[in-house]
Amino acid sequence: MRLPRSQFFWQLLVVGILVWLGYVLASNIEANLAKSNIVLSFDFLSGQAGFDISESLLPVSSTSSYGSVILAGVLNTLTLAFCCIIGATVIGVLMGILRTSGHYLGERVAGFYIEITRNLPKLLILLALYLAMVTALPVVRESWSFFGLVQISNRAVYFPVIEQGIGLYWVIAMLVIWPAALLILGRVAHRIQERTGIRYPVVWPVSIFILAMIAVPATTGLIEYPLSWPVLRGFDFAGGGRISVQFLVLVLALSIYHGGQVAELVRGAIQSVPIGQFEAARASGLSFAQMTRLVILPQAVRAAVPSMGNQYLNITKNTSIALAVGYSDLVSVMTTSINQTFRPIELMTVSMGVYLGICLIVSWLVNIYNARVQMVRA
Amino acid sequence: MEQTLRTGNVTAPTISPVTIWRKRLFGTVRDSVLTLILMAVIIAFVRVAVDWLFLDAVTPWRDRAACAAATGACWPFLVEKHRLILFGTYPWEHQWRPLVASLLLIAGVVVSMVPRWQDKRLAWLWICLAVGFTVLMRGGVPGLEYVQPERWNGLPVLLMLAIFGLVFAFPLGIALALARHQDQLPAIRAIAVLWIELVRGVPMIMVLFLGLFVLPLMMPDDITLNPLITTMIALVIFHSAYFAESVRGGLQTVPCGQYEAADSQGLTWLQKTRLIILPQALKIAMPGILNTVLGAYKDTSLVVIIGIHDIMATAKMSFSDPVWQRYGLEAYLFVGAWFLATCWCLSSYSRWLERRTS
Repeated sequence: MRLPRSQFFWQLLVVGILVWLGYVLASNIEANLAKSNIVLSFDFLSGQAGFDISESLLPVSSTSSYGSVILAGVLNTLTLAFCCIIGATVIGVLMGILRTSGHYLGERVAGFYIEITRNLPKLLILLALYLAMVTALPVVRESWSFFGLVQISNRAVYFPVIEQGIGLYWVIAMLVIWPAALLILGRVAHRIQERTGIRYPVVWPVSIFILAMIAVPATTGLIEYPLSWPVLRGFDFAGGGRISVQFLVLVLALSIYHGGQVAELVRGAIQSVPIGQFEAARASGLSFAQMTRLVILPQAVRAAVPSMGNQYLNITKNTSIALAVGYSDLVSVMTTSINQTFRPIELMTVSMGVYLGICLIVSWLVNIYNARVQMVRA
Repeated sequence: MEQTLRTGNVTAPTISPVTIWRKRLFGTVRDSVLTLILMAVIIAFVRVAVDWLFLDAVTPWRDRAACAAATGACWPFLVEKHRLILFGTYPWEHQWRPLVASLLLIAGVVVSMVPRWQDKRLAWLWICLAVGFTVLMRGGVPGLEYVQPERWNGLPVLLMLAIFGLVFAFPLGIALALARHQDQLPAIRAIAVLWIELVRGVPMIMVLFLGLFVLPLMMPDDITLNPLITTMIALVIFHSAYFAESVRGGLQTVPCGQYEAADSQGLTWLQKTRLIILPQALKIAMPGILNTVLGAYKDTSLVVIIGIHDIMATAKMSFSDPVWQRYGLEAYLFVGAWFLATCWCLSSYSRWLERRTS
């Protein structure tokens, strides 16, 4: 506690300047808004938005309120982020393993890939890929058909879906139970193996059971799965499900871009595993796949988790470049709303709040996972 | 047997290149399968690339009409449009000015990269460069015609936003890192933490929109901000938070003893920080800082989204002309080559610096 008086003085000075600056800026905002007869309030969120968004998980139309359109934007951002995180992780882990595999060609191919993605802006990858796909894919009326099941055009990919009803809910329920059952039974099996040494299979029995639960009621006529097929009508397909080319390009571009960074993280993590572990695994007669899965990756995960969490946050934030190809994510919905209502302060506050909230939740989850995989020092 | 041994006729067995390569590529079953898969991928990739870039392409010196029949790249497009991509709608006859201005900035960066010259002189150099750049681009002084900022496009805009954004963000980032690292002034520390975490928690696009929509509202009536300036302010706010985190990493590695030694010498806080702590911290944080610089430089291209015409926007401009509409990929290839080259220089420099200091 040296020099308490001067410390107090400096803090008071800085805080004073900031408060003064904040006051000046806030009063400027108020004066500027008053000129256009706008008072800060969030009431407009319940007003009719009047614009449509291209695709969403929520039933949104041009008569929906701003609040529900923004919610649809948030869901789109989350969906996009989820798909990109999966894509980047798959590509990154594969390339990271290839980079450290010791295979002559493999190391070089992975190195080339990492070097290219490291040195190009993500927006360039996105725009070039978008352009390439829009020019390479056929227009809707001449879309490529794969056995009549999937139709691909330069606007979207069309596929049949189960119509809304009891069948769809049953399938969704089963798909939710599947991973939950795998997790719980996997843990039970693990505990039994630790106690008795007997190893029970989990993945195959559970998967077959779930598939049977979906398939058997259909054969007996208990539950029906009426399909809705995409049918060409006029200039576009009607019915069925669709994923827009914008979404596909975004997932592809962000997965490729972040895959390179994930690969570097994976490489660093694998190289942090002591060389003795590799030698011991080889001496035990494990195959390369077994060695990677059972010995190396579990140890590498420990080193990678914190930076991987950071990377996932980056992916989530970078989905905001969706605006560049016209996919309706949160930022895109926000800018359209700002242009229509001229309420930048309120809309930016809401969007920033959403992003900060996502960040907090993701880093909280990563911290929980991190605490679980870290070595416990006795 | 004994005979050969005695005459020293034992040499290491020579391994032919064929054996080496066979062992490298087909040593085990796993290696062979991997080699075959990768070979197929590489051959397909190279074939498509070579076809498009050279075999089916139209050579640069032929005229545009030849492109219509070709399936490959149309190089006459780049010959025709490279000035548009580089300098956009800057008046055609004055385009030597953005060219010289860009070269000045690049030269400035190269000079700043030489460790021997990294001292106080750099501050003066950058002040001169900023003035020179503005005079060249803006004109309005005797001999140079005035060009309004809306017509500054392409490469100089990218370089200006990236370089000056980083130059201003760096000292701010150091100040934020110092404010966050100390624990004697809790109020200042709280402000720094709030700044860093808020900015790092939202996407860069959000910060750019903040500059676009909210910053002009914050200004008094008589001041209207040029979009380039608001973008620059937004970039400085954004990058400073990332710099702060890289610098903080360095600050944390400086041993306590260094602080205590400086205190026992009777140095003031400013002297201690400037002479003892920062030089050590910055040296350690250098790889992280350069990573931030590389990311920031690449991300500067995002300013297109808020309507600033940097090199990505001029590339789009170059193929929006109906006659040239089919050649967008050539334009993006040109931009990609620029980014690949400059980013590669930056990352090689970073690796060189790391080797040099360790």
